[in-house]
Amino acid sequence: MDLILVNIIDGLVTGLLLFMLSAGLTLIFSMMGVLNFAHASFYMLGAYFAYQISIALGFWMGLLIAPLIVGVLGAGVERYGLRRVHQYGHVPELIFTFGLALLIEELVQFIWGKNQMPYSVPEVLDFTAFAISGNSIPAYKVFMIFTSVAIFIGLLYVLTKTRVGMIIQAALSYPRTVEALGHNVPLIFMGVFGVGTALAGVAGVIAGPVLGTFPGMAFVLGSIVFVTIVIGGLGSLWGALAASLLIGWITTFAKSYNIEMKSVLNGIGISTPDNLDESIFRDLWSITSPQIADILPYILMVLILIFRPAGLFGKRSS
Amino acid sequence: MSTPALELTGLKKSFGKAEIIRGINLSIGKAERHAIIGPNGAGKSTLFNLITARFAPTAGTVKLHGEDLAGLEPYQINRKGLSRSFQITNIFPAMSVFENVRCALLWSQGYKYSFWHLVNRKHDLTDEAEKILDQINLLGRRNLPAGTLSYAEQRALEIGITIAGGADVIMLDEPTAGMSNTETDYITDLILKVTAGKTLIMVEHDMSVVFGLADRISVLVYGEIIATGKPEEVRANARVQEAYLGAALEAEH
Amino acid sequence: MTVSDPRIDPRIDPKGAREDEQITTDPSKPVERMRSGSMTLSLAPWVIAAVVLAFLPLVFTNNSALTIMNQMSITIVFALAYNMLLGQGGMLSFGHAVYAGVGGFAAMHIMNMSDFFSTIPLVVLPVFAGLFGMGLALIVGSFSTRSAGTVFAMISLGVGELIAASSVIIVAFFGGEEGISGDRTYAQPFFGVEFLQQIEVYYLTAAWVVIAAALMYLWSRTPVGRMANAVRDNPERAEFLGYSARWVRYYSFVASGFFAGVSGGLFAINYEILTEENLNTASSGVILLVTFLGGVGFFFGPIIGAIAFTLLQTVLSLSTELWAFYAGVLFVATVMFFPGGLAGLIMMHVPVFKLGKAGTLIKPYLYTLLPAALGLAGLAALVEMTFHYRHAIPGDNEMTVFWMTFDTHTLLPWLIAIAVTAIGLGIAKVTASDLRDAWSAANTAGGKS
Repeated sequence: MDLILVNIIDGLVTGLLLFMLSAGLTLIFSMMGVLNFAHASFYMLGAYFAYQISIALGFWMGLLIAPLIVGVLGAGVERYGLRRVHQYGHVPELIFTFGLALLIEELVQFIWGKNQMPYSVPEVLDFTAFAISGNSIPAYKVFMIFTSVAIFIGLLYVLTKTRVGMIIQAALSYPRTVEALGHNVPLIFMGVFGVGTALAGVAGVIAGPVLGTFPGMAFVLGSIVFVTIVIGGLGSLWGALAASLLIGWITTFAKSYNIEMKSVLNGIGISTPDNLDESIFRDLWSITSPQIADILPYILMVLILIFRPAGLFGKRSS
Repeated sequence: MSTPALELTGLKKSFGKAEIIRGINLSIGKAERHAIIGPNGAGKSTLFNLITARFAPTAGTVKLHGEDLAGLEPYQINRKGLSRSFQITNIFPAMSVFENVRCALLWSQGYKYSFWHLVNRKHDLTDEAEKILDQINLLGRRNLPAGTLSYAEQRALEIGITIAGGADVIMLDEPTAGMSNTETDYITDLILKVTAGKTLIMVEHDMSVVFGLADRISVLVYGEIIATGKPEEVRANARVQEAYLGAALEAEH
Repeated sequence: MTVSDPRIDPRIDPKGAREDEQITTDPSKPVERMRSGSMTLSLAPWVIAAVVLAFLPLVFTNNSALTIMNQMSITIVFALAYNMLLGQGGMLSFGHAVYAGVGGFAAMHIMNMSDFFSTIPLVVLPVFAGLFGMGLALIVGSFSTRSAGTVFAMISLGVGELIAASSVIIVAFFGGEEGISGDRTYAQPFFGVEFLQQIEVYYLTAAWVVIAAALMYLWSRTPVGRMANAVRDNPERAEFLGYSARWVRYYSFVASGFFAGVSGGLFAINYEILTEENLNTASSGVILLVTFLGGVGFFFGPIIGAIAFTLLQTVLSLSTELWAFYAGVLFVATVMFFPGGLAGLIMMHVPVFKLGKAGTLIKPYLYTLLPAALGLAGLAALVEMTFHYRHAIPGDNEMTVFWMTFDTHTLLPWLIAIAVTAIGLGIAKVTASDLRDAWSAANTAGGKS
């Protein structure tokens, strides 16, 4: 029971982190119809910038400044890159963001090298917040949960209660009309892209110390984020939240409980073949849940696509 | 009486709470040229989209030659001999004019998903496509990308693509929309020529086209057919005069 | 949603008509012209290609050249297969490496089944590999081709990641971390050839390139290949012509899976080892880069892309650690400024040649491209120096750029590099307007040539 509670907290941390990325990605997708492949790269940039700033000014200044820089960079990418490619159509846009993701990874390696950066949890938060029967929960995790929740409440407030949020929501569905009403839609697009990437930047700042700050971090998390928004239903913010938490918990639980495929198969009435070593299915029998935890999101995605192509909360399929 | 080419029974369509098509019964005979007219927003295009399965109806049935079309995909309906054009020009702009027509021929000529025929070697395809190009007077534009044609030529090509498959029920959605008088006359003659002997159902705004082409006319107002009959009957119908002219006047102001 | 746009699609240019259309230039007598000229005209490039491939090893005799040429051939087959999706079908895949990879792994397993392998000649092994690639595509395509666009791209990525990640778990098939290796020489000798030598493998690969490319070209001329274009441009219209867009995409996808598998089989024959690297997203990204660089709008685009990319990779990876960085820059620049790729750039010049004005462009090109190249070289030197300054072992201040050795901790080299960059790009910027004028003059009929 206690272990379950610990896992719930761990899964929540992962899920919220995923949501911080998938929320921005979903906003950008619903507004501009383009899936920003480089989204996770901005997450990585957030971590690296924060690391660099934290050396000089400490963690908290990093948390404040790094997302701003990332957001400005993101807005610049929209203004000078994406807007230009937009005229060629959706597929080149996707290819552009894909190329950008490769380029940013190379750029990061160029500046910081291939090794992991010693970016760590600030001392103020480097203690155990509480323990559940011997399993300590670090304060930093609690901090991560609170930061992400605070950001979402803020985001939700801006989107639903403010004038800017109303205009953004209207621009999501009727860009032409909003433009005709005298609003600068390209500016709104740039702004949303900036904010979306800044959110990814925040995620990078707070995840960098725990998950590691290294050049591969974007691709490790990136593809999971895309899977998340496909599972949630492209363009649905609530779907993104549900799918993020689902994936967070599924992977956490799969990692902490060592369930063997053998016992599952035996449990449903299939007996272990005698000459297992020669069977071509021998790998299937020896699979354990921690082993496949990282590919569970992909399996989930394939299943969702087969049985519910629009995703959990999706309305449109393309 | 023989089976009608197209028969609509109690056809309804709602988007959310708004009922756009409110129960349409209509029977169109073989080789009849039928025009659907009505003020803007009456649901003419929606009706077209319901018949061709672009939208699913909320209630009612569509029968083609007596066969219920419920649940069929657009491509299956096309294979049963119903072909349509679109209000907004809908061609393959990057392909050549010839290629556009040839693609429209492939299924009806029995090539299906073949990957063992080479289209350039199939002289029957080439000849047939060129015959259609000749009919729509685009033979001289044969190798130009369709997207570079003038608007009227693109509309003509769209009609060519629509009739190429040899469908016996042809539906044209505002074929003369946005055209000058000369272009309209040109397209009208073209339609008469290429749909000879076929069932034609068209939505049209231009009254001179409608009265010149149609054997029968249905007037659609707010999702309902208020009159169906020969042109002169419809013209004389008091309700039509009131509803159609009234709405048209409203739209002007 | 229209996937193809006139700007990315150079076919829209009426003068740069495509292979089959350019045969007829006289609209009054189209039929006769098409029938008389088509055979000889369409066969010529294939014969030339076969002859060139046959004589290349006589020019480039050493083994490393053969290795590069083999690499090129494999990439050509893969890129052409990829373009069946991207260019012809409008489907963007981020995980196409798995079809080549699975085909390759299957070929490896066949190599290791000595009883069976010794009864088949090595030359048919790529067919088996292709069938396995096709089998996987049959399964995945059944749900992924439901739509094109973003959803297709995401599914391809997810499935690609899934299979790449499974490779370390399903050891029996993928061999885990070490991968699977085998020996091609155990096959039944093919007319006495046992494929012990690199040159024999070269001819096997070259023959397969010609066969696979020809088959893929012919595919694009069949009803289903033509409809793939139609569905790419306007799926809705295609549906109202009697074709199910989904089925058309599915056929393209399966065919592409087959040829990707063939390229995987060729890889297995050449390298005799396959690992997780053959499946991962990086490989899928590379093939996207190659295809896009070459140009998706023309059948021959991916061929140019594969040749250019392999050469670039070989030259750059030998001389700099940063080659992936340059490749990334090149990729992004291509998408932003030349979405038609190299093939698009080449075909842009067809009207100029037809007007007989190509000669007028030589000088303006030289005046702009030479300084630009110089400026870019200066920029590359700056990049290399910065990288060296930041990452070299402390104390190791010497570096060599463009055959010049100097100390990066002194000011002079930096000044020189900055000056070269500024001057080169500056001149190019000034002369670019002349080039633009010359270009529009060369594209206008009439006047002096």
